[in-house]
Amino acid sequence: MTLVLLVPLLLLAAACIVLVGRRGSEYARMKLAAYPVGAAFLGAAATLYHVTTEGPVSIRFYDLSSVASFAIPFGFYVDRLSAVMMTLITGVSVIIYTYSTGYMYQDRHARRYLAMICLTDFVLICMVSSANLMMLFLFWQILSYLLYVLAHNHAHEGTLVGAFKTFTILRVADTAFLAGIALAYHLYGTLEFQELFIRASNTPVMLSLWPGMEMSGATAVTLLFFVGAMGKSAQFPIHLWLPGSLFAPTPVHALLHAGIINAGGFLINRLAPLFGLSSTTLHVAFLIGTLTAILGASMMLAQNDIKKTLGFSTIGQMGYMIMECGLGAFSLAVFHLIAHGLFKATVFLNCGNVIHNARLEPHFPHVDDQTEEPGLSRLTWFTGFVTTLFIPLLILLITHGVLRIPLLESQGTVIFLFFIWITSSQAILTLTRLRQVASWKVSTAMLMTLLFIVFVYLFAVESFTEFLYPNPEEVASYFKVADLPDWLFDLMIVTATILTVVSWSYLYMSAHGMTVRMPAWIDGLRIRLYLPFMNRLYADELYALTGQTIMRLVHQLDKRERGWSR
Amino acid sequence: MMDAALIPWLLAGIPLLGAVACLPFRSNAEQLKRSAVTWAVISLASVAAFAGRIDTPPEGLLPLYLLPVAATIALLGQPVHEHHRRSWMLTLLLLGLGLFALSSRSPISQLSLTLLLALIAGLLYRHHSALWPRSWWGIGAYGLGALCAAMSAAADAPLSSVTSLLTCAVLLPLVPFHDGHLTALTRLPGSLPSFIVVLLPLAGLHGLAAAIPAVPDIVAWTVSGFALVGASYGGLKALAQSRVRLLLAYGSLSFFSILWWFAAASRMATPRSALLVGTVGLATSGLMVAWQVIRTRYGDDVDPQAISGLAAGMPRYAVLLSLLALAAMGLPPFGVFAGFMGLLLSSPFPSLAGLFITLLAWLAASWYIMQMVQRLLFGVRRPELRYTDLLRAEFASLLIVVLVLLALGLVPTTLFASEGDLFGTAADIGETPRWNR
Repeated sequence: MTLVLLVPLLLLAAACIVLVGRRGSEYARMKLAAYPVGAAFLGAAATLYHVTTEGPVSIRFYDLSSVASFAIPFGFYVDRLSAVMMTLITGVSVIIYTYSTGYMYQDRHARRYLAMICLTDFVLICMVSSANLMMLFLFWQILSYLLYVLAHNHAHEGTLVGAFKTFTILRVADTAFLAGIALAYHLYGTLEFQELFIRASNTPVMLSLWPGMEMSGATAVTLLFFVGAMGKSAQFPIHLWLPGSLFAPTPVHALLHAGIINAGGFLINRLAPLFGLSSTTLHVAFLIGTLTAILGASMMLAQNDIKKTLGFSTIGQMGYMIMECGLGAFSLAVFHLIAHGLFKATVFLNCGNVIHNARLEPHFPHVDDQTEEPGLSRLTWFTGFVTTLFIPLLILLITHGVLRIPLLESQGTVIFLFFIWITSSQAILTLTRLRQVASWKVSTAMLMTLLFIVFVYLFAVESFTEFLYPNPEEVASYFKVADLPDWLFDLMIVTATILTVVSWSYLYMSAHGMTVRMPAWIDGLRIRLYLPFMNRLYADELYALTGQTIMRLVHQLDKRERGWSR
Repeated sequence: MMDAALIPWLLAGIPLLGAVACLPFRSNAEQLKRSAVTWAVISLASVAAFAGRIDTPPEGLLPLYLLPVAATIALLGQPVHEHHRRSWMLTLLLLGLGLFALSSRSPISQLSLTLLLALIAGLLYRHHSALWPRSWWGIGAYGLGALCAAMSAAADAPLSSVTSLLTCAVLLPLVPFHDGHLTALTRLPGSLPSFIVVLLPLAGLHGLAAAIPAVPDIVAWTVSGFALVGASYGGLKALAQSRVRLLLAYGSLSFFSILWWFAAASRMATPRSALLVGTVGLATSGLMVAWQVIRTRYGDDVDPQAISGLAAGMPRYAVLLSLLALAAMGLPPFGVFAGFMGLLLSSPFPSLAGLFITLLAWLAASWYIMQMVQRLLFGVRRPELRYTDLLRAEFASLLIVVLVLLALGLVPTTLFASEGDLFGTAADIGETPRWNR
C-alpha cells in the first residue's frame, strides 16, 4: 500500500528538490532529483509485481458510505493496467529526465523546466492510478494545463499560438469528458469504477435526445468519454494541437509522445467494461481511429521537417491504437501504446542528433545511387511472394492452430491479420520498387526478421491480453460487441485483398515492360494529393478561419448590443 | 453567554466601528489602510468566534467567512494613495451591512439590504460621468433592487416573494437586471469593485435561498430561461471585451447565471451554491486586484494590448495571476471547479440543452480568461515598460486569494455545512447524492 503512494510522492519530491534550494546549487539539485525519479521507477516495477501476484491495491481517503465526502475524492486504485502504465511512465521519465539534465544544461529556465517534467510525471501517475472518475478528471485537467505550460516559450510568437491552441482544443475535449461524468453520475449514481461498470450493465437506460430519437445511456456516456479521449490522443479532427506544440524542447516531445498522448488509450481501457456495452461507440472509435491512422500517416509522408514527421507519425499510430479499441482489442491497444511510447521516445531523443548531423554534413541525407537495374530478379519475386502469401498463411495457421483464436467468430482478429498482411505487403512493395531486395543475404535477413517480429508480436500480444484481461470470456465479449456489419467486414477484406493483388500485378507488369493503361487523373492524383497533405489538409487554416469567424460574429453582436448594456 | 439575537449586531458593529475608527487617520493614507485591514481581520475573527451561534441559513456559513476575507484582500491589494482613502472606509461600511444582512433575520435583513443597495446606487451616482451615460442603467438597477428589498420587508406573500426574487436578481446578477453589476464593477473606485463582486452575489444568494423554494413553476421556468440567456450572453460579451474590468464583469455574470440555472432547477440554494458563488466572486476579486497592480504601475487607463512580457519581468506576479486565472476559469483543484462540480452532480438537469449551454459557458471562460492572461504575461518584453514585481501587500493579497480558493477546492464541504444542509432535505431531491450512493 505504501509502495503505491511512494511512486507519485517520489516524483513530487523530485520536483521539490529541483525547485527549492539556495542559489548556486541548481545543477547539483537537478542531478540529485534523478534519484527519486529512478526510485519511482523501481517502486512502479515493484507495484507491478505486487499487483500481479496479490491482486489490485485500493486506497481511499474518503468514506464510500458517507455523503461527507471531499470536494475531490482522493483515492488510488492500482490494478494490472494501472501498474503497467505506472511502470511505462516512470521508465520513460527516468530516461527523459536524465537526458534533459544534459540537454537543458546552462539553460536559464532549466530549473522550471525540470520541475515541470517531474510534476507532469506525478500528475500522470496519479491519473492512471485514480480510484474514481472524479479524481481521474482532476488530473486529466491538470495535465491539459501542464501541456500548455510545457509547450510554452514565453517570447516566441509561434509557440504562444501553439500553446494557446493546445489548451483550448484540449478544453473542448475535456468539456465532453466532464459532460460524460455528469451524465454517468445522473444515470448510475456513482463515479467508482467497479460499481459504475456493474450498475451500467445491470440497469440499461434509454435516453431520449428528441422525440423519436433514443440512445442507450451507455452509448451516450461512452461517446462523451470517447470525445475526451480523442482530445488527449490527438484524433482527427481535434488533432491540431499536437503539430502546434512542436516548438517545445525535444525531451518534452519524448514525454508527450511516449506518455501523455497515451492518456486517451488508457481512459478507454480503464472504462473498457463500459465501452464494451456500446457497439455504436466502438464503431465510432473504429471509424475515427481508421481515419486518423490514414490521414496521419499520409500527412507524415508529405512533411519536410523531422519533428513534424514524427508528430504526424504519432497521430497515425494513435489512430491505430483507437482503431484497435474500436475493434474490441483493448489489450492490444495498451500493448501498442507501450511499444509506440518506447519507440517514439527513443526516436525523439535522437532526432536532435540527426538535425545536428544534417547541419554539419551538406550532403546529408546521402543521395542514393540513381542507376536502376533493368528488371527484377527471380529472387526479388520470390521474396515478395513469400512475404505476401506464405507469411500470412503461416500467421493464420499459428493464430488458429497454436493460439486457438477462433478466427471465424472474431472479426477483429481477422481485420488485424489483414492489416498486418497489407502493411507488410506495402513495406515489401516499397523495398522491391527501390531494388533493395537483390541478394540472398538481404532477402534472408529480411524474411527472418519479419517472421521473428510477427511471431514474437503475436505471442507477446496473446500473453499480454491474458495478463491484462485474465478472463477470456470478457475479451471475447468485447470482440463480439465490436463486430462490424457483415457487408462492411466483407468489403474491408475484399478491398485489402484487391489492393495487394493489384499492387503486385502493377509492379509485375511495369517490370516486364507491359503497358499499364492508367487514367490520367490517377497519374495526377499523387501530385494533387501531395500539396494538401503537405499543408496538413489546411486544417490549421480552417481552425484559424473558424476562430476568426466566431470572433467576428461575437464582435458584431457586441457592437449591436453595446448601446443597451454599456 | 451572549444572546443569539445580538450576534448580527456584533458582527456588523465591528467593521462599522472600524470605519469610524479609521476617520482620525484620514490624513495619513498608509496608516488608514493599515487600520482598515486590521479591522477587516478583526471582523474575520469575530465571525469565526460567533458565527456558530446563529441559526445556520440554508446556504451555510461560508458566505459569512468569505465577506471579511474578501474585504481584507480588496484592501490589501490597493496601492497606498490618497484617492483610495474613502473607498477603504466604505469597504468596511459595506462589510458591516453585508454581515448584518447575512446573519440577521427577515425583515431586518431586507432593510439592511435596502440600505446597502441604496448606498451603492448613491456611490454610482456620485461617480457618474457624462461620458458613461449607460451607468444610469446601473443606478436604476440598484435603485430598483433597493425598492424591491424594502417592499419585500413590508409586503405579504406572494408580492414579497416576487420582490425578494427581483432583489436577488439585482444582487446576484441575472439578465436583464445585470446592469448594476456591470456598472459597479467598472465605475466604482479603489477597493470597492473587488469587494462588491463578492459581497452582493453572496447577499443575493442568501435571499435566493429563502425565496426560490416558494416561487411558482412558471417563475422558475422563466428564471431558468433568463439564466441560460445570461450564461451565454455573459460568455459571448466577455469574449468581445478588451477592457479587463468589463471582461471580468461579463465573465462573472456568465458564472452567476449558471448558479441561477441550477437553483431554478433544484428550487434550492445549498452550501454548494454558496461555494460556487463565493469562489467565483473571490476569483474575480483576485483578478481585479491583479489588474489593479497593472493600473498602479502603468496608469488607470492603460490599454491591456500595450502590456506584454510580464512573466519574465514580474515572475511572482505571473505565477499568482496564472493560478488565479486557472481558478477563475473553473479548473481543478480550485474552489470554482469544486462548486461547479458539486452543483453538476447534485442538481437535477431540467434539459440536456440547458446542460449543454452551461458547459459551453464554462468552456468559454478558458478562451477569454486565458487570452487575457497570455496577452499580459507572455510575448516579448517591451523595452519602454518598467517591470516591478509585486510589493509585499499586493503579494499577500493575491496569495491569500489563491490559497483560499485552493483550500475551498480541496477541503471537505462538511467543514462549512452539515450533511443535511449540503443537499437540502432528502424529500427535496429524492435520493441523497453521494460519490457512490
